[in-house]
Amino acid sequence: MKNKIRINPILKKEMVVGSRSMKMSWAIMAVSAILTAIVVFTLLVSQLNVASGATYDYSTLIVLFPVLGIAECIMLSLMVPVITSGSISGEREKQTLDIMLTTPISPFSIVLGKLMSAMMIVMMYMIASVPVMAITFVLGGLSWWNLIGLFIILIYLGIYVGSVGIFCSSVVKKSIAATILTIVIGLAIIIGTSLIYSVSITIMSMYYMTSGNMRPDSLLGPVVVFMFNPYSPIFDFMVRALSDSSIYDMVSSANINPVMGFLYRFWIPISMGINLLISFGFLKLAAARVGNVKTKKAGKVNNKAGNKAVQNTATTNNTVTENTDNQNN
Amino acid sequence: MLDISHLTKRYGKFLAVNDLNLHIDKGEIFGFVGPNGAGKTTTMKIVCGLLDATAGSVTVDGVDALKCSKDIKRKVGYVPDFFGVYDNLKTMEYMEFFGSMYGMGKEEVDAVADGLLELVNLSDKKDVFVDTLSRGMKQRLCVARALIHNPDLLVLDEPNSGLDPRARFEMKEVLKNLGSMGKTIIISSHILPELSEMCTSIGIMDRGHLVTAGHVDEIMNKSDGASKIHIQIVGMEDKDDIRTFMAEQPNVTKVNFTEDEVLVSFNGDEMAVANLLKNIIGRGIAVSGFYKEKENLESLFLEITGGNN
Repeated sequence: MKNKIRINPILKKEMVVGSRSMKMSWAIMAVSAILTAIVVFTLLVSQLNVASGATYDYSTLIVLFPVLGIAECIMLSLMVPVITSGSISGEREKQTLDIMLTTPISPFSIVLGKLMSAMMIVMMYMIASVPVMAITFVLGGLSWWNLIGLFIILIYLGIYVGSVGIFCSSVVKKSIAATILTIVIGLAIIIGTSLIYSVSITIMSMYYMTSGNMRPDSLLGPVVVFMFNPYSPIFDFMVRALSDSSIYDMVSSANINPVMGFLYRFWIPISMGINLLISFGFLKLAAARVGNVKTKKAGKVNNKAGNKAVQNTATTNNTVTENTDNQNN
Repeated sequence: MLDISHLTKRYGKFLAVNDLNLHIDKGEIFGFVGPNGAGKTTTMKIVCGLLDATAGSVTVDGVDALKCSKDIKRKVGYVPDFFGVYDNLKTMEYMEFFGSMYGMGKEEVDAVADGLLELVNLSDKKDVFVDTLSRGMKQRLCVARALIHNPDLLVLDEPNSGLDPRARFEMKEVLKNLGSMGKTIIISSHILPELSEMCTSIGIMDRGHLVTAGHVDEIMNKSDGASKIHIQIVGMEDKDDIRTFMAEQPNVTKVNFTEDEVLVSFNGDEMAVANLLKNIIGRGIAVSGFYKEKENLESLFLEITGGNN
């Protein structure tokens, strides 16, 4: 018996529909154009700064890697909410969600299919950016492992932002409101955890400077909080790619306890693991919201025609009665 | 096929369905009639496993709709009263998409979808984008989509809502064909004459209660019994004389005059109707037309629900 791998129907449908839409092509073109503009601008500025006759050191172009990497992450963080925020609310707006729920497909499969289709777009966008990114590797001297690492980071970020976007889409009725809510939640997490971490470090440093005494585990709380920042592994990755060091190396000279040392050393996998678990939680919540129609009130979406028909019926009958009664009187 | 027992659905304080009991046999076309808010859609959604019930039980071909909602979705095909379309999706792709939701492969869907699209007269629209189809075509496609997994029971919630007369006729033909194929169908509609033509049995719901249910003829016989007889008379100069004569006739309860005919409310069997005609002619009244108005679902619906909408 043939055992075929079944592709998620939602993913399949989204790919067919998406491939016929110009939106995806425009988005990929816009991303590539922005990245190209950054590279061209950096090259022009660098060459203008070189005195005539001097030799230009192309290895300085390594700086393009974090700039392009962060630019890609920011664009992805803005683009994925736009793609995913309409995933559930759009189905509701088009009145197709109820029809989907009459089939045996589970709400989680619907949500997962939506995320996977968003990730397919992210991957296309990543592939489209390879030629531009390659400039930093050819001229800047980075290894191809850095590029693969960046792609893994982008996929991770896409899953995280996509999950938040799908959750918001399941909560809010309008797609545009879901987009805004996704960006607000994302910014709140990024800025909130960064603030807690940086303010705590500043206070502790000032305390250390004045008292000369600091408990090794006093920063554990803020460090753990910062791990919930989806951008923190990206930061560590960039540090590692550029300087062959890490957050751990930056803080290892300080008085830190073994637990914090472990967290700093394995920051990328631990933080990514935590944030992917959070993404899974967002997806589960979204699925619960999608499946929640069972308790909602059944109602008519468009009854105008039906109402009219009965009203007409009633009017016709009443007219006959009135006529006959009039005659009778 | 379908057994509903003591079904109750409550939304907070609002009682949408109140102790509903209903049995529908295999192969029946059951018409659900009732004013808006009567609880028809709620009942249908519970049958399809889309809504939970507060109390009671629903079984479709022995499968508990309330406990096994995944299994019930394989037994039931649901056509809602709206039609959502996907931009950039063709008719056949639409069928394939929903087929894959039931775990069907492309070849399997293609084999079934061809026949279904032919059944709903859309075989020439296979490669057309769904959003370019007319409303009537979309609704017929929705019926084909609901049949993709060959369900035992087809539930249609106002499939004719918003359709023009031609589209309604075409939809009626499709449903008649399905009925002749032995499919069990539950259909709600506001267009009552069509329901009475199409359905083998009907149920009238009002404010969450199933007021009456049964075979169409049985339901018709449950009306107050007073049928109307239209009599056209040549030269109706002396209306008082005619009124007095008619009122004296056995089984006549009321006599009304319209512009060109006498409308008699009559409470008797077919022989009594024949005797009335014989008496009128015997009196020397020149009758040019005489017919008994057939009791219809509209008047019965208004009678039962008090004309409320």
